[in-house]
Amino acid sequence: MVTAMTKLVKVIIDDREYDFPAGMNLVDAAKQVDVTIPVFCYHPKMKPVGMCRMCLVEVGNIQKDRATGEVLLDDSGNPQIRWMPKLQTACTMNVSDGLVLRSTSKAVDEARRNVVEFLLTSHPLDCPICDKGGECPLQNQTMEYGPGESRMNFEDKKHLDKHVPLGDLIFLDEERCIQCGRCVRFQAEVAGDDVLAFHERGRDLQIITVSDPGFDTYFSGNTTDICPVGALTTTDFRFGARPWEMNSVPTLCNHCPVGCNTSASTRLDRDFGGKTMIKRIMARQNEQVNEIWMCDKGRFGHHFTRSEDRLLQPMVRAAGGSLSRETWADAVAAAAKLLGDANGSVAVIAGPSATNEDLFTLKQLAAGVGSTRLGAWPPTHAGADLVAKVGVGKGTNLSNLGKGDAVLVIATDLEEEAPIWRLRVKTAHDRGAYVVVANARKTRMDDFADAVTMYQTGHAATAFADLRKQHPEVAERLINANNLVVFAGAEGLTLDGSRALMQACANFLIETNHVGRANNGLVGVFPGANAMGQHYLGFSPEATRDIIANPPKVLILAQADVVADDPAAAAWLSKVETVISLSLFDDEATRQAKVVLPVQSFAERDGSYTNGERRVQRFYTAQGPIGEAIPAWQAVARIAEKLGQGKARLSAAQVMNDIVAAIPAFAGCKYSDLAKVEAQFPQVGGDDLYYGGTSYKNTGGLGVQIASAADNGEAVALGDVKADAVKGDLIVVPTVRLYNRERVFQASEAQLMAARVAAPYVEINAEDAARLAIHDGDMVQVSAGAAQPVKVRAHVNGAAPKGTVLLPRNLQQTATALTIAAGTVTKV
Amino acid sequence: MLAEKYAARIDQIFSKYPTKRSAVMPLLHLAQEEFGYVNEEAIQQVAVLCDMDPTQVQSIAGFYTMYSERPKGKYWLQVCTDLACALRGADKFHKELKEHLGVEEGGTTEDGLFTVEHVMCLAACDKAPMLQCNFHFEENLDMDKMKARIEAWRAEAAAEKSGAKKASAKTKA
Ligand code: SF4
Ligand code: SF4
Ligand code: FES
Ligand code: FES
Repeated sequence: MVTAMTKLVKVIIDDREYDFPAGMNLVDAAKQVDVTIPVFCYHPKMKPVGMCRMCLVEVGNIQKDRATGEVLLDDSGNPQIRWMPKLQTACTMNVSDGLVLRSTSKAVDEARRNVVEFLLTSHPLDCPICDKGGECPLQNQTMEYGPGESRMNFEDKKHLDKHVPLGDLIFLDEERCIQCGRCVRFQAEVAGDDVLAFHERGRDLQIITVSDPGFDTYFSGNTTDICPVGALTTTDFRFGARPWEMNSVPTLCNHCPVGCNTSASTRLDRDFGGKTMIKRIMARQNEQVNEIWMCDKGRFGHHFTRSEDRLLQPMVRAAGGSLSRETWADAVAAAAKLLGDANGSVAVIAGPSATNEDLFTLKQLAAGVGSTRLGAWPPTHAGADLVAKVGVGKGTNLSNLGKGDAVLVIATDLEEEAPIWRLRVKTAHDRGAYVVVANARKTRMDDFADAVTMYQTGHAATAFADLRKQHPEVAERLINANNLVVFAGAEGLTLDGSRALMQACANFLIETNHVGRANNGLVGVFPGANAMGQHYLGFSPEATRDIIANPPKVLILAQADVVADDPAAAAWLSKVETVISLSLFDDEATRQAKVVLPVQSFAERDGSYTNGERRVQRFYTAQGPIGEAIPAWQAVARIAEKLGQGKARLSAAQVMNDIVAAIPAFAGCKYSDLAKVEAQFPQVGGDDLYYGGTSYKNTGGLGVQIASAADNGEAVALGDVKADAVKGDLIVVPTVRLYNRERVFQASEAQLMAARVAAPYVEINAEDAARLAIHDGDMVQVSAGAAQPVKVRAHVNGAAPKGTVLLPRNLQQTATALTIAAGTVTKV
Repeated sequence: MLAEKYAARIDQIFSKYPTKRSAVMPLLHLAQEEFGYVNEEAIQQVAVLCDMDPTQVQSIAGFYTMYSERPKGKYWLQVCTDLACALRGADKFHKELKEHLGVEEGGTTEDGLFTVEHVMCLAACDKAPMLQCNFHFEENLDMDKMKARIEAWRAEAAAEKSGAKKASAKTKA
């Protein structure tokens, strides 16, 4: 990063003089001034290795008089340049004062031609059937710099295996690999899981994995973006479409709070009734959010949008009790009547994928019928209000964290709950940031953490409040860090416990003056894509708790799959007189609803989400409509209109204008503002794909980050930490697995991912297991709190601390404990 | 398990290096000695010993010609066919050697005694053509000399075999 401190050096590139920060390599420097030095192995997100030799350039130095430091001039008065005798690899050389670079010359052109010719001696040239054809750096650079014709004997080509599954999701074509090592280095340097390597050498070289598990990290898909040829392809997309027949639509991943910017490649497709269909999802560059990466859940988890379980028509329950199809007008009228007759006894529970527009419209509708009861689902994570106060400062970019900075991760496993944050914290660690992981159990984050502190299950808040006493050296590092970011989740905490932890984190940040500045503050590791949007638009988990305790007459469930998440839901839902359900799927709640309104997924509509770092980001319509489903906000607005609350808006953009006018936090978040882009480094996509890979250039907007109260200079007060913990001999802690059987991930077509979801299990400590006569692999029955007992397989694998069992949520169809509860485990 | 069988030797190997990872190559040699070649078992055990991902160990075994990832004969003949040797007829020598033994490149004779493969420069260019048999150099070769060596090895193997038989007969008696 260029800071005021960085020394600038003078470099001459192709006869023009420029200033660059010292330490930058020649490829990057040239790129910044629009001079192209072609590369294959170098990638701006990884360390240079100088393996492919494509970046050869002429390099020299301006000669100075040793004694005086004066520049020596030649006879015609120009500075004397001493050229290095051989061409140099630009990727492994840094800028320095007086360096002179020629990016093209006879020698350079010939070197490039030779490198390309040499690469092609072993290349199958099967571009017509290659997934990368059309967006392939090797293809492009061959056209640009290659010899046009080969002098080699085609018969002598090396023939290697073309269909090697490296994992379940990625295939390797050994013939196409040009041995650049980008995939290997991505796994080692970026993902931190060195399960790929070279094997053999020379022309026999192949990429291998013999690890167990093999190449199935959550980040594996990214290697297909940075592979400069079609050697790595995804099982999901390979042979699916040609790049040039697809449109790219800027969209967002809505599976977790990171809010990765993505791009949907779409085309009219026979498999989708001739409608526009998403063929693949790739990362879209947003350096502050996901850089150029995304996780495999987001990449492959789009099949649910075309699931056969999608609701296609509005339905209304007749007096007799069965649901029947209705027109939108009739269904809207039925809903309006129910709400109008409720006498204000109305509440809304909105799920984690409801957009800002949906939430605002719901809030307006509720207000119109006299209700302010707005619940956020799932009601597991408190403290979004504290994030609004002391959340990471405006302009925060995790990529700027490094030496002298610190990151604390507490009560969460980022790898499972927000994978790209895990990846970015890992790279911050590699740049020198001090990373502390605090949990009640071991997580894979521990592998690279600088310090791991364990606390007793459920006692996150008190443990953190005591940090200075218990682990003074760790506390010291955090307190004195130049910049400090805290990621706080709610694993193993009750809703009150979660609030206590968030308050403890907020207090610590305020006391140590780590608020109101970029790269400092709190991030809530909340479920879903829009928990912060829920907060700003008035929805809270506390309200949900109140709605459950005091059931309203009419409850609107907006994309909240309550029965699948909460084992107690069937019971509390039965106390509600009427449920109006806005849903994607024919789910349990829908089966109890009086009015069912089919709504569109993120794929078929536009809208906006507010991510965990409070960035409001916009997504665009990518896929053709399904049945009669409409955006949730539109369904709600039509009900409001029917109730005489005013005309329904015509577009999501108009709804956002209303939000901007009504909610101060959203000032500056009009769609046109959200769509603004600026140049980002490194350049990717389009003409730059040789350099950064096929991850898409951002043309849809970088979003706008909402300022925290601290950013705005408001005084932020310390709060009381009211600890809350569950007691019991055996405590059941619900955990989150990235791949699970949630409706918005699981779908009939997604066999690919279905196979990757773990079979239901519970993790139990060896001592507890011995006491209960349970062995690894036994079927056991777990009951927790009021939940129906579930039968799952016991894993005695050292993951659970004594007295705690870890029960992943959503691994089975029936709901398991939503929050921590005392429970029992018995062998069956 | 290597760790138990060769505990002292492994300790001694580790003691020479600053980190466990650095000991991967001598440990692979040890494993190769034990298993006859670098098999899956060898990779897994060395990975555990060096605290490395097995993929990285396999990669090292794949890179260096002195590790064999396939079972091979009792006498592993690696013929240098690199430039200096090639100029002194190594290619012809290599071809004739294969014909004499009746094997393809990388193949092993049916009696399990000889494996022939070609390798890059072994740094004995001044004594070309040359080969190494189980890491010992045989230099200034021609086919006549080679045939004699092969017979000697056959005899050696046969003697060992009958010696082993006698030895086991003795223990029985
Ligand atoms: S598979 Fe692709 S990224 Fe990996 S080394 Fe080969 S060409 Fe490079
Ligand atoms: S990290 Fe989160 S937002 Fe990004 S692709 Fe994965 S699930 Fe989606
Ligand atoms: S050697 Fe510089 S890009 Fe490959
Ligand atoms: S070329 Fe054969 S030993 Fe050097």
